[in-house]
Formats: sequence, C-alpha cells, structure tokens
Amino acid sequence: MGDFLMAGFSQATAPSSLIATAIGSILGIVVGMIPGMTISTGIIIVLPLTFVLDPGISIALLLGLYVGGMLGGSFAAIMLNIPGTPSAAATAVDGHPLVERGEAGRALGVAVIASFIGGLFSCLCLLLIAPRLADVALGFRAPDLFSLVLLGLTVICSFAAKSWIKGLLAAAIGLAIVTVGQDPVMGTARFTFGSTDLMSGVNFLTALIGLFAIPQLIGNLASTETGTRVLRTTARFGRVLPKLSDLRRMRVPVAIGSVVGTFLGVLPGAGGPIAAFLSYDYAQKATKNPPEPFGSGAIEGIAAPESANNAVTGGALVPMMTLGIPGDPVTAILVGALLVHGLAPGPLLFIERPDFAYGVIVSFFWANIFNLLIALAGLRLLIKLIALPRTILMPAIAILCVVGAYSLRNSVFDIYVMLFFGVLGLAMRWLDMPVVPLLLALVLGGQLEEHMRVALTGSQGDYSVFFTSPFSAVFLSLAAISVVWSVISSRRTAGGAP
Amino acid sequence: MQPAPRYRADWENVMRDRQRSLARIAVTGIALACVADVASAQFPERAIEFIIPFDAGGGADIEGRLLAEQMSRALGVPVVPINRPGAGGAVAYTYVKNAEPDGYTVSWNSNSLLTMSNLGNVEFGYEAMDHIGRVEFQPMVVAVAANARWADLGALLDECAAAPNTLRISNSGTGSATHLGALALASAAGCEAVHLPAGTRRRNATILSGEADAMVAPLTGALNLVKARRFRVLATLSPERNAVIADAPTATELGYDVDFDLFRGLSVPSGTPAAVKTALADAMTQAAQSEPFMKLAGEVGFTVAPMPAAAFEALMQTEDTKVRAIIESANLLSSGTR
Repeated sequence: MGDFLMAGFSQATAPSSLIATAIGSILGIVVGMIPGMTISTGIIIVLPLTFVLDPGISIALLLGLYVGGMLGGSFAAIMLNIPGTPSAAATAVDGHPLVERGEAGRALGVAVIASFIGGLFSCLCLLLIAPRLADVALGFRAPDLFSLVLLGLTVICSFAAKSWIKGLLAAAIGLAIVTVGQDPVMGTARFTFGSTDLMSGVNFLTALIGLFAIPQLIGNLASTETGTRVLRTTARFGRVLPKLSDLRRMRVPVAIGSVVGTFLGVLPGAGGPIAAFLSYDYAQKATKNPPEPFGSGAIEGIAAPESANNAVTGGALVPMMTLGIPGDPVTAILVGALLVHGLAPGPLLFIERPDFAYGVIVSFFWANIFNLLIALAGLRLLIKLIALPRTILMPAIAILCVVGAYSLRNSVFDIYVMLFFGVLGLAMRWLDMPVVPLLLALVLGGQLEEHMRVALTGSQGDYSVFFTSPFSAVFLSLAAISVVWSVISSRRTAGGAP
Repeated sequence: MQPAPRYRADWENVMRDRQRSLARIAVTGIALACVADVASAQFPERAIEFIIPFDAGGGADIEGRLLAEQMSRALGVPVVPINRPGAGGAVAYTYVKNAEPDGYTVSWNSNSLLTMSNLGNVEFGYEAMDHIGRVEFQPMVVAVAANARWADLGALLDECAAAPNTLRISNSGTGSATHLGALALASAAGCEAVHLPAGTRRRNATILSGEADAMVAPLTGALNLVKARRFRVLATLSPERNAVIADAPTATELGYDVDFDLFRGLSVPSGTPAAVKTALADAMTQAAQSEPFMKLAGEVGFTVAPMPAAAFEALMQTEDTKVRAIIESANLLSSGTR
C-alpha cells in the first residue's frame, strides 16, 4: 500500500493537480454560497472541461468543488440565513444569530475549522476503509452485485423523500428510462422507435443537467434579488480565527459531527442534510450548559453540522471508489468523469490502477487543505461574491447547460433530451417528488439489469442464486429492512404531525 | 503610418494600384483553387472529423485520439476526434456511411463494424463503406486466474468437453468479438460452455471473484492484470505468437483451429474520390509509424501493422465470413433486418 500511496501522492501533488484543486475549491465555495446555485450547478459548469482534462486533474477539480461547495453553502446560511445548499440548513440556526450580533467572522471561522476537521477525519477513514473494502468487494459475484445495487437504490429512496412512495416512484421512473436504448447484454434495441439517437440510451449526465439546473433556473426567475439586500448588515465582521476558548468548545461537537457525517456519507442517499441535523441534535444533547443557548448563536451548533456535512464527502467516496456506487449527484458525476477516462471505479481500480485510486484519496486530502487555506485567506473577498448579480449568472448557466449537454456526446439530440429532463424536473418539483432517486436509478439501473442477467446466465435461469449466496442474502435482507423502516417511519411522522 | 498631406495624391495612387493587384491575385487564387478543387490535389483544405465509435477513455478512444493527432501533423489540418458511442458502433458507422463522401468524415473502425452489421443492428454491411486501410491489430487471449487449476488450454477445454455447460467463460458482451472468439474456441474443441456476457467493465473482475473460470479478452484489456500476476494467459487466438506475450502459445499451435484477430483501421463514406483516399492512406500510415503511436503500442500491447486498402478489404471479407458463420451457428441474429 505504501508504494501506491506514494505514487498516488506524486500524481495528486503535481502542480497542475494542485492548481485544479484550488480552482475547484474556490468555484465550489462561490457556487455553494450563492443562493439558487448548488454544487450541482458548479459541476455543470466544469463538466465540459472534464472531458478534455487529464483524469487526475479533472478529479482534483471535482473534489475541490465538492468540498468547497459544502463550505460555501454554509457561508450563505450563516450570512444570509439562506442555506446555499440543503446540507447547510442546520448551520443557519446558530450561525445567523451570531452575524446579527456583529460576530460574522467568529461564526464563519468556526464553520471553516469544523469543516476542515470533519473533512480530514473522513479522508482518513476513506484511506483506511476503501482499500480493505475493495479487497472484500473483489469477491462479489453478479448476484451479490445485483443485491448490493438494489440495496443502494432502496436506501436512496428511503432517505431522499419524506414520502417513501414518492421516492420509490421517482426511482421507478428512472429505471423505466434506463430501458430505452440497447439492452446491455444482447444489444437489442428497446423503445427506440427506429431512432439511432435513442439507440445509445439516455446518458445520466445529460439527465442530471436537465433535472437539476433547469428547475433551478426557472425558480430563480421568480426571485432575482435576495442576495444584495442582506449583505449590508455584514459591516461588522469581527475576527475570523476562532479564539482558544471557542476551539475548546468545538471539540466534542466536531467529534460527533465527524463520526456521524462519515458514517452517513457511506450510506448511499443519506448525505449532508440528514447528517447535519442529526449531529446538531446529538451535539445539543451532549453539551451541558452552553454559554449561548442552542438556536441563538451557540458555537457548538455551528461546529457539529459543519463538521458533519464535510465529513459526508469522504464517506460518500467510500462506496463510490470501492463499489462504483455513487450516493449523491456529486459522486455520480465523479463516476461519470472517471468512466469518461476509461477508469471504472470499483474494486478492480485498486489493483489495475492503484496509483490512480490512491491519487483520488490524496487529491481529496489536498481539497480539504486548500479549502481551509482559501476560506481563511479569502473569506472577506469571497463573501462579497454572495451578491453577484444573478441576471448575469443565470443566463450564463443556461448557456452552459446547453454546451454541457451537447459536448457529452457531440449530439444536438442530447440538448433536447436535457430539456426534456428539465421539464420532468419542474413537474417533479411541482409534485414534491425528489429527483435524486430518479437520477441514481439512471446511474445504477443499467448495472442492476446487467448484474441480474449475468447472474441468471451463470445460474442458467435459476433465481435461487440471489438467496444462496451469503453476500447477496445479506444485502437483500438489508434492502427489505430499509424499505420497511422507511414505511414505518413515514407512518409515524404522518401520524405524529397535526 | 499617416503620409504627409502633399503626398496624399501619390499615396492614394499607390493604394489604388495595390488594391488592383491584390484583386488580381485574389482572382487568380480563386481560379487556382477551383482547378485544384476539381483535381482534389489540395485535399485537405479544412478540418477532418475523426469519428470514434466508442466512449471516451476506452482503448478505441485512446488509440484513435493519438492516431488523429499524428494524422493531423501529416495532413497539416486539424483532425478532430469526435466520440459517437452507442449501439456497438452502429451510431458512428451509420453517421459516417451517410456523410458527404469528400474525405472530411473518417471513421475509426474495428471488428465491431462486422459484428454489429452481422448481428442485424443496422441494415448495411461493411461493404457499404470505402476503407482506407488497417492501422493495427491485436490478439484475443484466453486467460484464467493465476492460481487456476488448468495448466494449459488443453486441460481447460478437456474439462469443458467432459462436463458440458458447466465451464463459465466470460466475455465483453453478447455478440462482441470476444464472445465470438469464445464460441469459436468451444466449437473447435467440440464442447458447450456457459458464456457470461460480463461486459468490458466487469469481465476481468469475474475471473478474480471466481464467478467465471476463464475469459476471452483483447490482449490490451488483460495485460495489466497479467503483468500484476493475477491472470495467466493460456493461449492467444491469433495465427502467430505475439511479441508482447511471446511465451503464450496460439490456439492453432495447440490444435484448435481458431484464428480471430482484432483489427482497427479507417473507413470513409462510399464514393470518396480515389485521390482523397490516397492522401488519407498516406497520412494514416505515417501516423501509425510515428514515434508516439509506436510507443503507445508498446505500452498497451497492440501491434502496429498498416495495411493498404485492397489487402484490408480482403481481410475484412474473410473476417466477415467468419463472423457471420459463428453468429449463425450460435443463433445470435437479432430479430433485425439483414
């Protein structure tokens, strides 16, 4: 492992990779910060770039963006009380009261430090867990992989939606869309209506651009002036580097947030928002007699969710790297970016290209370091960008959506596909249906079918292989548990709420 | 530079003369260009689309991109690699077949041109296009896990013959060249195997997990794991031994009559002028023998062997017959058209 880690280190520490990490981090902080833009928007901006850049460099760029975006979202949450990303909502609760007291710097400083520690902790977990998990995963056969992907999908559905029916429905739509195009095993055309364009199916990156960017753009048409008005209140900034007493108070909440975040990151679909609120809750219970009560500017209430939402990033890289199963849109893009360069994430990556696999982990480490440095050094400057005029930003993003959709396969048809998904995304938003299960069903659906059919080819049509293989049996029961659990918990909330 | 006022009249005369002569040059130039265009001696005058039938990042893409770059140096115009993946190459080949036959749309091809047409995924065959030539070839290999119980290909196939439908051989997909290679091998040995269509991404993993007993793969797809001592190559399906893995015997040597190499070359729409094809062929050969391309060949394990159009077409005809025979005997024809 040592040799490969060194090889990965030299790959990820090349000047070009480091510059890409830094650019990604700055871009991530900015897009995360501007309300109405999310990390997904940032990814759409850099997507066309990742096809031409060297794989190590594009991964560095995307990881910087991922880590930076998590932090940027919190900046908006703290400064404007508008979470830039859903993961940052918990931070607003205690972050914004500090800003109103003229201690913006203090709140931001705590957020930056907590994010850094959370990210670093998850990076360490990634380094320790991923290679071992990859070793185990090498033994997985087609039935096991089928059940694992199915587990991933059910977990995503149960976490992503308030209503599990809507979650499952979204995933089912995604799975139905996957069947368009050539069947993955025999190559027979399905639902193509004689069109060559449809033969290659729907690329999930095209769908992602439409699903995430278009509803956001339309939503922004309704409100174009949120940013500027509040920023004036930030005249008093205060010191940024946390005082020793603050650092001491952060210890326990950051530890809680790091562990909770990393763990929930590993579960596909759980992600930032849940980790942030859960660790906020734990930190509240663990803190006796806080100097400021929770909800009115407690340092602990910023530190816990901030460390948690950044720890999610490293956790989410574990199943992405070792199993090729992404847990959120960002890791789905990372899978796409790796595939574009012929580097299929999965257990084999650690054997065939260990230098690259470890390079990704080291890049993630650098992303956290850069994030800290950039955030601390450029905080006052970056904060000003919250007020970037969206009348300029939004048209630019609209153009990038079209460019991104086209450049994926050099196909004008894909632009229409992207627009179709934009309309679908709007409809789903209107119906209060989550889009993440749909997107991940698009990513995982092909694998699900392929594994199932290869398994059945191997067993010559005998379905019992899914239950006789121990791994598969465990995954299937976990999948059943996750569905039952989400049914029960949604019943309970439905019953409990007035 | 602004001339002084009293010279202005002269200056204007000079300018008028100059404009006239410029106009004359332009007219002559256009006339020459027209003549040249008719004779096609000027090909190429603008960028050439180099269509890659597979996703970015695969072997076809990496090798194709480098070839395009080197061809661009030889031709003096940009040769722009464009991926048009999908449907086992059908998307790209359909696009190129229907393009203007002027030499500005070139397809990077492979055995996929023969497999996708014989499977019935499109309504045309390889003859529907003109071919510039072959660039490279590589063998397919039969590989097993390093610690597998079979000492050689004979042992593997004997076991397959002794217990029909138990030995599992994985391939890159039903109807792909690797699947056809495995089918040909099994029929040469007179045995029935279970063919796992594991796909290019999972194929190697099925050997490591023990899910498949053996696999047929392009040499370039297996070489990393052979070097890492995880895989053992039992044989190549080539007529001759390959320098990259010189100690691996050929199936023919071992008494199994299978000879099925993977080629890559260039095709253009049918009806492209002969002079244009010659220019492309020259550039192709030059690019194939360029230092960077030879270096890549050494690294990943294919053999650079440019072949002129006539020989290439003859090769494709032989291979097409083989492919069709295997597909028909294995009953793989899709409900399609051809």
